[in-house]
Amino acid sequence: MARSRCEVAIVGYAQSQTYRHASVPIGALTVETCLRAIADAGLKKEQIDGFTTGSILPSAGGRTPVDGIDIVTSNWIAEQLRIHARWLGGFQGAGQIPGSVILAANAVASGAADYVLVHRALSNPQGRYHENPMTRAGGASQWMAPQGFWGPPAMMALSYMEYMQRYGATREDMGRVVVELRKHGARIPWSYWYRNPLTLEAYLDARMIADPICVFDCDIPIDGAVAFIFTSAERAKDHPHKPVYVAGHAQGNLLEPESMWSLDHAQQAAPLTGRDLWKSSGLRREDIDLPELYDGFSPIVYLWLEALGYCGRGEAHLFLREQKDLTRFFSSGGSLGNGRMHGVPPMLECYLQLSGRAGERQIANVKTGLACHSHPHYGGVVAYSSERL
Amino acid sequence: MTAEKPLPLPDAISQGFWDAASRHVLVIQRCGHCGTLAHPPRVVCANCLAPVPSWTFQPVSGRGRIRTWTVMRQSFLPGFKADVPYVIVEAELEEQKGLRVLARLVDGPQAAFKAGSPVETVFEDAAEGFAIPHFKLAEA
Repeated sequence: MARSRCEVAIVGYAQSQTYRHASVPIGALTVETCLRAIADAGLKKEQIDGFTTGSILPSAGGRTPVDGIDIVTSNWIAEQLRIHARWLGGFQGAGQIPGSVILAANAVASGAADYVLVHRALSNPQGRYHENPMTRAGGASQWMAPQGFWGPPAMMALSYMEYMQRYGATREDMGRVVVELRKHGARIPWSYWYRNPLTLEAYLDARMIADPICVFDCDIPIDGAVAFIFTSAERAKDHPHKPVYVAGHAQGNLLEPESMWSLDHAQQAAPLTGRDLWKSSGLRREDIDLPELYDGFSPIVYLWLEALGYCGRGEAHLFLREQKDLTRFFSSGGSLGNGRMHGVPPMLECYLQLSGRAGERQIANVKTGLACHSHPHYGGVVAYSSERL
Repeated sequence: MTAEKPLPLPDAISQGFWDAASRHVLVIQRCGHCGTLAHPPRVVCANCLAPVPSWTFQPVSGRGRIRTWTVMRQSFLPGFKADVPYVIVEAELEEQKGLRVLARLVDGPQAAFKAGSPVETVFEDAAEGFAIPHFKLAEA
């Protein structure tokens, strides 16, 4: 078990409205959201002494992203808020939400900072997301772009097609997942899809992007920002809202170069992330009330179910067919039900439900949750608890 | 102006692949220590961890079987927008289990194929000094 288990807690948050394109730069939306999170925790901005985030993406037109306009780094936030930080960290990998939370939790646990602000800002760039006018393709792209193969939807399509062919999963199976996510997203006021659920018929009729991936298997790019305040379990007692503790965490990494989208590699490496999570948290799968899965592309849901041991290899669609109620996996609405907020919805849902702040969406008697992000063999997962374990 | 299709930008470990492709020969990187084939070319052998200087490029049959595919209905590369829909396959070459190569299937989305269908390599002369390998359905 990790020595830091339940030594660090979330004591406040704020989430912005989401927009296809906000009328203000993403930096402005993020500063406003950070100030609201600081106030929500009952703090003054001068008390924040640590910052971290993961700021990769968006990509469009092959342009270099501009801080405050396209992306928002922690340094930029500290500058704008005019706060001297004792600790500034930045996460470089793909699972930015668990990655940032793990940095923040360990910074607090080690005493590097007392109050860490973790934010995430996502923006929808001008032009088309992932479009790239390159005329020469170097590095990994030399094996893809000269063939006309480019962009994450097509990469996901290859491994999802392989999963369907190998294990007999159908588009109807995935349709049920996406409809469930949109049902929950339609109940979340800041969601891009608020009051806009999806029917299975509409899913099956949707425009295809790269077979078997349709437009509703991809999260829609939006502008949005979120911020959370982390502090020690000791200090957390003195804040206005019920703390939610970081109970454990795990991250994945590739064991083969360029193998992020390989089904074989995912199935080989993903269970290591699950194993590390149970070891770090001391929890078992049966202890988890809200295992909130990541769904930035819908097929990633299957990989998390395998990684966490809810089913065996290639059995995720069969496991889901057997579930009468899918709420506990998807109540966050995910990225498909909120818009492209990457790993934010599962984390925010864990916080809101475990602190009792989910309002009319509150689920009774939930004490533990998991917030997954990215692929299990590439991103990470954090376990949260409403009680100090 | 018609958008250009991207050409490969060879590097220190891929130059040999593209040089051979320009002569319409498919080559695959082979570890000099243990004989393991690797594609795309890599810096360290996955099998024996031997580094770059031991690698050579070995001509291969170009024959393999489709493992997975997608039909591209939209393209994020402007030069390919007029070509949609087109098929991209990952085929496992007959020389080694798990040795996969990604390429366009020139037969297109109307052709009858499935996982396991046999393919062979064909080359498209894309520009002076550059040929791009693609797959074509083959007799079983």
